[in-house]
Amino acid sequence: MQSTKYQICTKCVMDTSDANIAFDTTNGTCDHCYDFKNHVESSWQTGYKGKKALKIIIDNIKKNGKNKEFDCILGISGGVDSSFLLHMAIKEFGLRPLVFHVDGGWNSELAVHNINVMINKLGLDLYTEVINWEEMKDLQLAFFKSGVPHLDIPQDHAFIATLYHFAEKHKIKYILNGGNFSTECVQHPMQWIYYGTDMVQIKDIIKKYGSVKMHTYPFSSIYWHKIYLRYIKGVEVIKPLNYIPYIKNDAIEFLKKEYNWKPYSIKHGESIFTRFYESYWLPERFGYDTRRIYFSSLILTGQMTRENALKELMKPAYNPDTINDEFNYIATKLGITPEELRQYFNMPKKYYWDYKNQQNIFRMGARVLNLLGVEKVKKRQK
Amino acid sequence: MITIIDYGLGNIRAFVNVYERLNIKTKIARVGEDIKDATKIILPGVGAFDYAMSQLNASGMRDELEKQVLENKVPVVGICVGMQILAKSSDEGKLPGLGWIDGDVKLFDTDKIPYKTRLPHMGWNSISPVKDNLLLDGFDNESRFYFLHSYYFVCNKQEEVISTTEYGITYASAVNCDNIYGIQFHPEKSHSNGIQLLHNFAKI
Amino acid sequence: MLYPRIIPCLLVHNKGLVKTTKFKDPKYVGDPINAVKIFNEKEVDELIVVDIDASREGREPDYKMIENLAIECRMPFCYGGGIKTVEQAQKIFSLGVEKIAISSIAIENPDIVSKLAERVGNQSVVVVLDIKKKIFGGKYELYTLNGTKATGIDPVSFAIKMQSLGAGEIVVNSIDHEGVMKGYDMNIINNIRDVVNIPLTVMGGAGTMDDIGDVIQQHGIIGVAAGSLFVFKGKFRAVLINYPTNVEKSILLSKYFLNR
Repeated sequence: MQSTKYQICTKCVMDTSDANIAFDTTNGTCDHCYDFKNHVESSWQTGYKGKKALKIIIDNIKKNGKNKEFDCILGISGGVDSSFLLHMAIKEFGLRPLVFHVDGGWNSELAVHNINVMINKLGLDLYTEVINWEEMKDLQLAFFKSGVPHLDIPQDHAFIATLYHFAEKHKIKYILNGGNFSTECVQHPMQWIYYGTDMVQIKDIIKKYGSVKMHTYPFSSIYWHKIYLRYIKGVEVIKPLNYIPYIKNDAIEFLKKEYNWKPYSIKHGESIFTRFYESYWLPERFGYDTRRIYFSSLILTGQMTRENALKELMKPAYNPDTINDEFNYIATKLGITPEELRQYFNMPKKYYWDYKNQQNIFRMGARVLNLLGVEKVKKRQK
Repeated sequence: MITIIDYGLGNIRAFVNVYERLNIKTKIARVGEDIKDATKIILPGVGAFDYAMSQLNASGMRDELEKQVLENKVPVVGICVGMQILAKSSDEGKLPGLGWIDGDVKLFDTDKIPYKTRLPHMGWNSISPVKDNLLLDGFDNESRFYFLHSYYFVCNKQEEVISTTEYGITYASAVNCDNIYGIQFHPEKSHSNGIQLLHNFAKI
Repeated sequence: MLYPRIIPCLLVHNKGLVKTTKFKDPKYVGDPINAVKIFNEKEVDELIVVDIDASREGREPDYKMIENLAIECRMPFCYGGGIKTVEQAQKIFSLGVEKIAISSIAIENPDIVSKLAERVGNQSVVVVLDIKKKIFGGKYELYTLNGTKATGIDPVSFAIKMQSLGAGEIVVNSIDHEGVMKGYDMNIINNIRDVVNIPLTVMGGAGTMDDIGDVIQQHGIIGVAAGSLFVFKGKFRAVLINYPTNVEKSILLSKYFLNR
C-alpha cells in the first residue's frame, strides 16, 4: 500500500506517509488541498454571512432551551479550541451550556489549571466523568498489545460516549463542538487514526487483549449516537468556531490575557498520553507525524507558511530532553516496565483492517452525509 | 560523575530522580571504591548527628571521601544533617564531626522562637543569599526551600556563610569553604528551587 | 520567615483515589499517580497519602504504588496505611518517603512509636488521631481501623502520650467534619494544640480557603490539610484537582498569617 517513492505536496506539507495520498500531476498539490478548495472553502463563511447563520443557530438553541436547566452541552479538555468556545458560548452567545470534562487519568497540570481558571472566572458549575482507571488502563494496554496505530481510541471513545450520555440524560438537543476548519480542515488519514466509535473493532481488541471487565467504562455505538440520537431524537452538533474568523494564535493570546490561561508547548498537551502518543509513538513507530496534518491546515487557512512548517518538521515532534522521563512515566502509569513498553514499540505493525471492523458502515454513512451536504469534508475513506 | 553517598540516611532516591529528570548521570556510592571517579559529591542526611557520624565511620567510605574532598578538592555538598557533620562538633551528639568547615552545631534557643511549636524548624522558609555564590545562583530573599531540623550550624568564619535564614534568630542556612558546601534545607524536596540548586551544583 | 503548611490529603481505596464523607460513602476520584503528579507540578507544600483499607484488611502496604508515588514528589511525602512494624516503615523510607503515618498501631501498641522514632528519627514519625464526638455527652473519642471501631480513648491525653513516646508530628483528623466542607472542628484542634508542642497538622472539614485561613489565624505555624477542597469543584462535586497558586497563597497568608 505504501508508495515507495517519497513525495510531498507542493502547497501543504502532507506527504506519502499518508499511504493514500494522491497528487495532481500538473502542479504536485495533494488531494487534501483539492478537498479543501472544492468542498470546504466554498461554503465556509466566517464574515457577515457566517455571523448571520450563527445567530439563527444560537437563537434556535435559546428558544429550544427555554425553561430548561441547560440549552446546550459543551465538553472541555483544557485545550485551546474548547476553552475559546466556552468563552464565546457564555460571553458572546449568551448560552447556558452543561459544561463537562472527561477525566481519563492523563490530565496534565496545565489542563487542570486552564479548566479551573475558566470555570472560576465564568462562574460555572462543572460536571466531570472520571473513567475508572483500572479499566482505562487495561483498555489502553489492550490497544498497545494489538499493535495498531490508533491508541488514543480509549480516551476518544470515552469522551464521545460521555458526551452523548450526558446529552441524553439531560435531554439536551444541541452539542457545541470546538472542531473547526481553521486548524483541522485537513483530515487524519484513516490508517493513522481510525474511527473512535467502531465498537466492532474495540470489542475485538478487548476480546483478544483485554483482561479486566469493563464495568463502568462508557461505551457508545455509532447506531446509538449517530443514528438514534442524531437523526431520530434530533440531537445536533454545532461547530460555532466555523462561523467566525478563528485564528488560533489570537485565541491563545486572548485566553491568556482574559483568564490567565496557559498555553501548551505542544498540541494536545492537555493529555499526557495524547502528547506522548502524537509526538513520539506515532511518528517514531509508524512514521506518522500528526503535525503534518495540523500545519497543513494552518497553511491552507493562511496561518502558517509552508517554509515555517517544513522547518518545524525538521525537529522531532517530541522533546528529546524529556522523552525518557515521559516514556518511563507512561510505562509506570500503565503498570508495566519501560522494557515491556519498548517491546510494544518494536512489535510488528498492525492496522485497523487486521481486526474486525465495521468500516463499511462508516463509509456508507459518510457518503450519505456528504451527498446530503451535511458533512463538508470528505472523510478519508482509506 | 555526580556521586551520592549512601551511608544509610537521607532520601537517595529523590536526588537520583531530580538528576535523572535533568538528564544528568549520577552514581550511588556504598563503598570507598565507588567514590574514586567522583566529579561531584552529595552527602545527604536526615536524622541525628551521632547516628550520621557513626554510620559514616562504619561505612568504610570515610577515608576515600576525605581524600577526594580534602586532597583532590572534589566539590561536595552536605545536606541537612549531611551539612551538620561537616562541623567540628554538635550539641546533639558526643562524636566529633568531620571538621571540614570551621564551626559547630548548636540547638536552637527555643525562647527566641515565637511559636507554639518551636522545634523542629519544619516547613518552607526563605533564604537570604549574603554573597554571590555559584551554588545559589538565581536565588534571592524570596526564594523558599523546605527545612526540617532542630540544630543549626554556627560558622566561626563569617565569610563562609553564604546564606542566612530567620527562625527566632538569623542563622546560616548555607555555608561554603573552597570546594565544600553545606545546606541546611532539602533541595531534593523543594520543588523547582531545589531542582535549580541541584542543577547549579552540577554545573560548578 | 517560616510559613504554615497547606497540605493536600489523598485517600486510596482499591488502588484508586476516593473521597469519603465522615469516613463513609467513598466516591471514586481517579488514578493516584496522575493526581500526585499534578499536585507536584502545582508545587504543594507537602502531600499525605493514606491507604484506608490496609489496616482494616490486615494487609501489607502497597509498596509498588508507594514507590511510584514517591518518584513524582519533589516535596515531602507522608504515607500512612497498614504500617505495623519498624521493618515496614524502613522499607517505605527506602522507597523515597519522608514521613510515615500510623494510627491503629499507635493505639494497639503505643511502644512502637518510640521504636520507630529511635530507628528513623522523631521527625519522620507522624501519629494520626481519627476523632469523633460521642453521641451523648459531646466528648471526643479516638476511633481506629478507618473510623470503624470506637476505642473510648480521650484524644487529648493520647496526644500527650504520643508526644512523650517520641512522635514527631500529630495529625488531628475530625471524622464528623470530614468531607462535609463546612469548616474544621476548631474545638478539638484548640484542645490538642494547647497540650502538645510538637508540630501539628489538622484535617477534616475544609470547604473554602478561608476555612484554612481561620486555622492559620488562630494557630500561626501549623499544618492545614484538606482532601475534598483540593479535589472537588462546585455543586456537582466535579473532580478537578486544584490548589492555591503562589499569588493566591501570598494573599491568604497576608490576610491570615502576617497580620496576626
